[in-house]
Amino acid sequence: MVNPVAETSDRTGAAGWVRRHAVAALRGGFFRTTVVATAVFLYLPVVVVGYLSLSPGSQPSIPLDGVTLRWYGAVLSDARFVRGLVTSGVIGVVAAVAGTGLGLLAARTIVRARLPGWLRASVAVVVAIPLFVPTVVVALGIGITAGRVGIGFGLVPVVAGHLYWVLPFSTFLIASRYATIDRRMAEVARDLGADGVTTFRTITLPQLWPALVASVLFAFALSFNEFLLTFFLAGSGVTTMPLEIYGKVRIGATSFLNAASVLVLLFSGAVAAVAASLEPPT
Amino acid sequence: MSGPTGRIPWSLPERTDRRRAVVDAGLAAVPTALAVALGVVPLAVLLVESLSPPVTLSNYAALGESVYLPVLVRSLGVGVVITGACLAVAYPVTYWLAHVCPVRYRLPILISFTLPLWLNYVVLNYTWVWILATDGIVNTVLTAGGLVDRPLDLLRTASGIGIGPVELPGPSVGLGFVHIYLPYVLLTMYVSMERLDYRQVEAARDLGAGGLRVFRDVVVPETYAGAVAGALIVYARIAGAFATPQILASPSEQMIAQIITTQFYDVLDYPFAAAVSVVFLVVVLVGFGIGALSTDVRAELKRW
Repeated sequence: MVNPVAETSDRTGAAGWVRRHAVAALRGGFFRTTVVATAVFLYLPVVVVGYLSLSPGSQPSIPLDGVTLRWYGAVLSDARFVRGLVTSGVIGVVAAVAGTGLGLLAARTIVRARLPGWLRASVAVVVAIPLFVPTVVVALGIGITAGRVGIGFGLVPVVAGHLYWVLPFSTFLIASRYATIDRRMAEVARDLGADGVTTFRTITLPQLWPALVASVLFAFALSFNEFLLTFFLAGSGVTTMPLEIYGKVRIGATSFLNAASVLVLLFSGAVAAVAASLEPPT
Repeated sequence: MSGPTGRIPWSLPERTDRRRAVVDAGLAAVPTALAVALGVVPLAVLLVESLSPPVTLSNYAALGESVYLPVLVRSLGVGVVITGACLAVAYPVTYWLAHVCPVRYRLPILISFTLPLWLNYVVLNYTWVWILATDGIVNTVLTAGGLVDRPLDLLRTASGIGIGPVELPGPSVGLGFVHIYLPYVLLTMYVSMERLDYRQVEAARDLGAGGLRVFRDVVVPETYAGAVAGALIVYARIAGAFATPQILASPSEQMIAQIITTQFYDVLDYPFAAAVSVVFLVVVLVGFGIGALSTDVRAELKRW
């Protein structure tokens, strides 16, 4: 048995002081090492691809035997890739704007609607399906349904799929903001004679604005980067940026792919930076 | 949507209420219709499809006998291992971030750790190819430094360590998975870790607890809900991932999403693909059910 008093006195003595500081330094070292290693781990791959994208040859050798931007030129003049990029951008804008609109309606339903609680809860569950059902299962389900119903594959199923994919994120992003708005303000406006539309436009909308902007940006990024759902629904006629990249990975087009990756990462990173500057994620 | 505009006579509150309920229902119907058409209906179609032709369990029986059952088990195993690895990294990192890091650096560092969430995961997976290939960065450094005689097979190599179908993921697929899913876990854990009252940690230390003891008796009980919530968010996505194993795993490390995709795209056996999906979905949902039994975890998940 250790005498507790002896132990306490040991910890307050000089030896204890040294030991405690040594332990603290060690502990600090452990945490700092983990944090630095995590940062390196998250960003090293991006840096490596950025470096290799400057390779003069189509197959980079390490270290590089020269530096050139020619692969960026090749990417931007590749009709297929640019078409994929434009398609992804257009689908992304549609999904961001329409998805945020639908998310606003769903958020209003969940937080504010004068409907029975069970009905609002079931709307929340149905909207949240893509969050807890694995994407491959959702994708296969929509794919088989599209085939069976006869809609087939192509742009319309892809856009619909993306809308559904971004819906839970925009819904819950907007709902969390909606819940903080004092509902009495809207009630007062209505008591003073404003109709529903006017009340929403002048009272609720301004307060929701930051969440709506965040939702548009986040939904755009989600749609722009979405791969698996598109893979199941695109058919042969539609190509998006992630499908193009995936196709190039399979055939092993290296320097071209490195430059394309950097362009895509820079673009998504810029969208994220705008979002981060607008509203902190916590 | 507002019908006859103008003043609503407040002497008729009941009728107003009813009218507003109708408007609310109409507005609710739009997103709900989309969610039902693309969520509920496809899942019902999957279930029906998995029982066809007319009504049979033969697709499920075929799954039981096929080589795909071990693939399902392996996928779930990979989900568990990678989720565990993410938590093991996220605990010290978020602890440092929430309680040691100077306040003004906290938000920038947190944002930089979660920035990869915005990036394309196909691209992020691909970046590992150039790090781990036989003529990639790691092998170039190792051979130039004379640490190895010939390049290591790091890319698309199975680990070979495991029991039965449950096997540790190989180096490339393991790193690729952690790279994509760590930011999700960091974000979920940070929210929990920030709420941990640091005075509890100090009190435990003053009472003589060592680092491990503090971690086990103070940090874990206060933050496990965030850890479980993070695990639930990434676990099913990892087990059901397609692009990562397709780009970074060895052919012997096939995962369940690859089977489903192949059955859909190449074999065109929809009923079998549907049966595999239904079984996978049920397993995932059971996992969710067990995790969400705890009210703490449910409260944590509600934030998402």
